Amino acid sequence: MTDVALPAPAPTASVDRERLTAFGFALPSFLILAGLFALPLVLLLGVSVIGPDGLTFVNYRRLFGTAFYLGVIWNSLRLGVLTTLITLAISYPASFALARARGAVRSVLLATLFLPLAASVIVKAFAWTILLRSDGVVNATLIALGIIEDPIRMIFTETALVVGAVNIFLPFMILPIYAVVAQLDPRYAEAAATLGASPVTAFCRVIVPLTLPGVIAGVALVFSLSVSAYVVPTLLIGEKYPTLATTIAKAYLLAREPGFGAAAGVVLLTIAIIVVALSARLGREPA
Amino acid sequence: MSDSAPHLTVRNVSKRFGATTVLDRIDLTIRRGELVTLLGPSGCGKTTLLRVVAGLAQPDQGHVGLAGRDITAVPPHRRNVGVVFQSYALFPHLTVAGNVAFGLKVRGVGKAEISKAVERALALVKLSHLGARRISALSGGQQQRVALARAIAVEPDVLLFDEALSALDRKLREEMQVELRRLLQDVGATAIFVTHDQDEALTMSDRVAVMNKGRIEQLAAPRELYSRPASLFALNFVGLSTRISGVVVDSKDGKVDVETRVGRLSATGSFQAGAAVVVAARPEQLRPTATVDENTVAGRVHSVVFQGSRTLVEVDAGAGERLLAELSGRDAATPRVNEEIRLAWPVSETFAFPAEARA
Repeated sequence: MTDVALPAPAPTASVDRERLTAFGFALPSFLILAGLFALPLVLLLGVSVIGPDGLTFVNYRRLFGTAFYLGVIWNSLRLGVLTTLITLAISYPASFALARARGAVRSVLLATLFLPLAASVIVKAFAWTILLRSDGVVNATLIALGIIEDPIRMIFTETALVVGAVNIFLPFMILPIYAVVAQLDPRYAEAAATLGASPVTAFCRVIVPLTLPGVIAGVALVFSLSVSAYVVPTLLIGEKYPTLATTIAKAYLLAREPGFGAAAGVVLLTIAIIVVALSARLGREPA
Repeated sequence: MSDSAPHLTVRNVSKRFGATTVLDRIDLTIRRGELVTLLGPSGCGKTTLLRVVAGLAQPDQGHVGLAGRDITAVPPHRRNVGVVFQSYALFPHLTVAGNVAFGLKVRGVGKAEISKAVERALALVKLSHLGARRISALSGGQQQRVALARAIAVEPDVLLFDEALSALDRKLREEMQVELRRLLQDVGATAIFVTHDQDEALTMSDRVAVMNKGRIEQLAAPRELYSRPASLFALNFVGLSTRISGVVVDSKDGKVDVETRVGRLSATGSFQAGAAVVVAARPEQLRPTATVDENTVAGRVHSVVFQGSRTLVEVDAGAGERLLAELSGRDAATPRVNEEIRLAWPVSETFAFPAEARA
């Protein structure tokens, strides 16, 4: 440091009190997060790398070293990516429609988004099995209309899985995008137009960048939900599409291998964290 | 670069929103290099007229012409207009320079040319040093300048300002009025301002269009607007005045005699005898006097308000009529409250308008 020691300005009492108050308010949430969230995660990491003979990476070697478990990781990623892309494609235009709607139409549309959130995921996934099974509503209707003669196999296919996942996770994509679109000042589009931007150019250069924060929030939410979904793949596709989530459940509940389950959990968490961190980075404002 | 040929023409433009007529057969012609203000209260249609010129609103009937072509059906992005919005509508995801460059980029202008134009536009608004800043890091006054630079950079045929200064605080607004007018004159821009602020209108413009209920009540130079208002609305909206209602008793040679509750007054104008009118004069025309001449009214001083270079004196003339006189610092004695005084003003500076029918 410098050789001339200037008398440090005495911190005023009010600043100290402000800091103390802020710290006091933050303390309860910090304790809850640290005790109930961070600590278990550390324990989970510990369980995954500590075997009977001390430090071991055998669980991770099993996950990344066998074709079957690489396939499991791939299945989870595939479910997450497909669900996220399809919900995004549906949600982006839907958010604009929702933001433009007025009065009763808007209320009804918002209600159709919020009400399904009140129903349990199990109920919704089970509803899809009723709709899609061989003697289900969809097949019965198609046969009755004479479009098909024999029932099409829909349940327990990847299509059924993705359709169900998209339906169940859709509100988590629409709501954050809608929140941004509804706040978007219509003057931005008008300013772009008067500056010479055609509607397509204005959309690409102004509207998309300005709604990106909503898209990123939606992508982070839906991806982390669908990549770790357990109920949806269990009910809609079952054994033949093992995911990281179903693998964790099996490791704990059937195989009694907590170390392996914990390792799969850490991998799943890492994937979700990477995607969320990447999207947060993309959404940053220009420096 | 003043050119007398019409540059912007609005012909017979009407616009309705549901049952409300927002623009009622508007005609307006603006020359190249002219600065025109649309002045009026909220809801008078001034912003809608600006939006029709910008192409952001479609008129139900009528035509808009700019720089020699009919642009009525041309979408805004092909009109070559520049708009400065009240909220500025600067793109928050772009830097200052990015905002200014936007119009040129979407026009496909070359990179070297863009950076030159951006430099020029930012220099014009004295923000050259802030090109790399984020919009959120600017003050309101700086954002206003960026919005102006962004609109000017594309060299539009006409610049449109929608209450562009109203978000600034008063002192900054007054500075910007003078600076903006000089800047626009320097670059030879044709501009339309929309405002409800009469000071802004008088300061900024070559001509002012006073709008009321979707119509232009008067289109005149600021000085003429003030000294020769065309209607009671224009009189009330711009500047202060004394207004006394009465009935016309005689009318000849462009002069009317009006019987009022404070005596007989004369004014310029011609009305039929028996017409209900309002007689009005600007406050600086009223002078304390000792003699009784034409247009002399006596009364008791109700209030005296000192405003620096001028003093406003309100006189209670009885029968509910009030006179407003403005005395400059050079006037000798300022009357005191409750003092009895006599005020006189020239007939040539007295207006008569038809009294507005009241329900």
